[in-house]
Amino acid sequence: MNEAIVGEFRRICGEAAVLHEPLQLLTYECDALAHLRETPALVVLPGSAAEVQAAVRLCVREGIPFVARGHGTGLSGGALPVPGGVVISLAKLNRVLEVDIPNRRVTVEPGVTNLEITRQVAPYGYYYAPDPSSQQVCSIGGNVAENSGGAHCLKYGFTVHHVLAVEAVLPDGELVTIGSATADPPGPDLLALLVGSEGTLAVVTKVVVRILRKPESVQTLLAAFDTIRDGGAAVSAIISAGIIPAAVEMMDTLAIQAAEAAVKPNFPPADTILIVELDGPAVEVRELFRVVEQISRQAGARTVEVAQDEQQRARIWRGRKAAFAAMGRVSPNYYVQDGVVPRTRLPDVLERIRSLGERAGLRIGNVFHAGDGNLHPLICYDERIPGQSAVAEEVAGEILTYCVEAGGSITGEHGVGADKKDYMPRMFSADDLDVMQRVRDAFDPKRLCNPGKVLPTPRLCGEVPGPYRQHPVEKAGLGERL
Amino acid sequence: MAATHSVSHDELAQFGAVRSGTADDAIDGVLPRTVIEPSTPEDVGRVLAAASRHGLRTVIRGGGTKLAWGRVPAALDLLLVTSRLNRVIAHRHGDLTATVQAGATLREVNQELAREGQWLPIDSPFDEATIGGIVATNDSGPLRSRYGTPRDLLIGITLAMTDGRLARSGGHVVKNVAGYDLAKLMSGSFGSLAAIVDVTVKLSPIPAASRTLAVEYDGAKPLADAAARLSASQLEPTAFDLQFRLGPGREASRLLLVRFATSPESAELQSVAAETLLTGNVRMVTESSETALWTEQVSEPWYPGGATIRLSWLPAALAQVLALLDEVHRLTAGALALYARVATGAGFLRLDTDDTGVERAVALLRSRSATVGNVVVLRQSPGLKSRVDPWGEPASAVAAARALKQAFDPAGILNAGRGPI
Repeated sequence: MNEAIVGEFRRICGEAAVLHEPLQLLTYECDALAHLRETPALVVLPGSAAEVQAAVRLCVREGIPFVARGHGTGLSGGALPVPGGVVISLAKLNRVLEVDIPNRRVTVEPGVTNLEITRQVAPYGYYYAPDPSSQQVCSIGGNVAENSGGAHCLKYGFTVHHVLAVEAVLPDGELVTIGSATADPPGPDLLALLVGSEGTLAVVTKVVVRILRKPESVQTLLAAFDTIRDGGAAVSAIISAGIIPAAVEMMDTLAIQAAEAAVKPNFPPADTILIVELDGPAVEVRELFRVVEQISRQAGARTVEVAQDEQQRARIWRGRKAAFAAMGRVSPNYYVQDGVVPRTRLPDVLERIRSLGERAGLRIGNVFHAGDGNLHPLICYDERIPGQSAVAEEVAGEILTYCVEAGGSITGEHGVGADKKDYMPRMFSADDLDVMQRVRDAFDPKRLCNPGKVLPTPRLCGEVPGPYRQHPVEKAGLGERL
Repeated sequence: MAATHSVSHDELAQFGAVRSGTADDAIDGVLPRTVIEPSTPEDVGRVLAAASRHGLRTVIRGGGTKLAWGRVPAALDLLLVTSRLNRVIAHRHGDLTATVQAGATLREVNQELAREGQWLPIDSPFDEATIGGIVATNDSGPLRSRYGTPRDLLIGITLAMTDGRLARSGGHVVKNVAGYDLAKLMSGSFGSLAAIVDVTVKLSPIPAASRTLAVEYDGAKPLADAAARLSASQLEPTAFDLQFRLGPGREASRLLLVRFATSPESAELQSVAAETLLTGNVRMVTESSETALWTEQVSEPWYPGGATIRLSWLPAALAQVLALLDEVHRLTAGALALYARVATGAGFLRLDTDDTGVERAVALLRSRSATVGNVVVLRQSPGLKSRVDPWGEPASAVAAARALKQAFDPAGILNAGRGPI
């Protein structure tokens, strides 16, 4: 990048807030999906919305691609830089602007962490509901970009259900407010489009979120099963009984072993464990928890352990949340996949995954959000064995095919990013993708805002409008139009 | 756009049942030249493609219950009616999801879902309201306190685009972040971007028990205080509503309605706990009187006559909102009533007054943006619409909304200038 332009970025953001020494750029080469790396030409760390806007305007004027970045915890390469482009880090925009308890709203800058919002309001008995596993470090701006969920989204929904408004710089440099601090802004829901757009439609500079009253009571149980099918049957029976738990998580033998090795949650040795959490008014939790316990036993649970206090509950969750990182204890390398299947298809798909692992000679651990069918297979491999990492990647891709064939999705919460854009045609037809591309072009006609993410490149979608083509889901006989 | 004359019924007749518009089809007194009812999603696309080619100003109609919302159409060439696309395509009860066509009515859909003890928890004041229309307007009622608005329940959509193609977004699973969420983008679009062909929605179990507390207050202050106490509690009402009436002679009635629809023991014990928080003159309402009470709460804003305005506020500003309505009442010389969701800070204001009164009221409300926002006049006499814009000042990001409209509807045929974009 020529010196004059670097100078302009320095005038906008300040000398110290513009990084372009190779060593400084290293940190920004990737997000938490570390095998995809690119070096940006420049990283800027604006300190205000006005500086973000000025930086974006400069990029637009010079035709420089730009990528917004929160705290770099994304798992799909959504913040992967573009070679020759600029990374706009929102890390310095980290102020909590307003805590409004009577109206149950908090206004923050995008660099504030997810957990910080809950910390701010916890003394008043409130919390921010979406709780991705990375909540201690991930930024709310990143949550907006990815529409982050968490273990409790079965009952409470995703980021899109908890964000009321954002201030954002659009790819043409306009600073706008989208959504409204009060309900029902008229017109198409641009806010819902923006949330989950993975940084391709705007750079968010302020976020207004809704907070919830802390539930009066929380109860958690841990049930051990001999087969994944029994565990799955228990989940179905709970839902059929009209109960929507706050969380329903499952882990298989390998994941249990890994968690034990790492944080010793004292999980029973079992083929499958099921964690069910109910929250809400004490009377309701008490009434329904009895039903959940009974259902678990009827479904064949060998043991049912009810957390008697907050400490026990924390221990169960520690084991569950540690399972990813703990895989390192049982395997030199592992690949985390993120796919979704309809809840009722879980046992079938898990069996397919199990035999796929056997065929490929790889161990696959499973930790997943059973309530909403969100799978996180952990594919174990050893990169020192020639060819094994390639096999692992193939296996990971094959699992996504199973998910789509079962009527599910290629990503439940990690996003498409750079990682899965080429899988998009497995789930969407060329026409579907073309419409999404048109939406993107409406916001970003110069294609400078986080290019190369979400939608497949080169475009597989037809450039020319054509007649109706069969949707991949229909072709597989899983859906129909009429 | 004289092009209309060159499009014969015969050309459109390939894609659905075609007839000439009648008085029953009129929107704000404007008669559509042609009415078409396609029977397949593909045909909806073909109709839109033909309309685009010929520049036919087109309005999409479901049950026709909310067609008076929006501006008066300048002219109306084509009314596209979705009533033949009325099936529940799939009810995956084990997954708590369903895929339904746009022209199915909410009532029919819920009848079918009830066979498995499930429902789509949305209120509609209108029996004929279709799923497509409810999604396009994002219309909601008291249930939003617990379940959100229709947009919150959408997990997938199929759209017929103006170039004739069918496009999907989302899918069949509740958790899914692949691609842009075009389903939610359609919420509030009023058919100005594309035609909704089908939607996939998240369902809920039908609650096993329900009871409602109706509490009367003799002043705005005690009502607002009680509302704040309940909001700050850890009780989880299914609906938490306000019914505030000011009669022609300033006689007032102020009611809080709090519903607990959940498991039997919880419904009972939560309502007992709520009673102590709400003070006031409490009445417990159950069974058929409860159903009647909520039907009335949802329907009354839409009884014939007067005007209906949608507006919102910060929940803790309830007392100021009620004071503002006192001002509105003094200005308009007529009865008014507010039917509102207390915890959300949103509701429908019904004005029983003449056009001058409505015009004054809307001007006052829109000038008080520190107290109320998003003031949209959903129902008023067509004659008044030239003086009182239904939508009000355009929101921010106007250029982006316009670019989206251009991307979806380059010929500008959809919704015939009725707004919102």
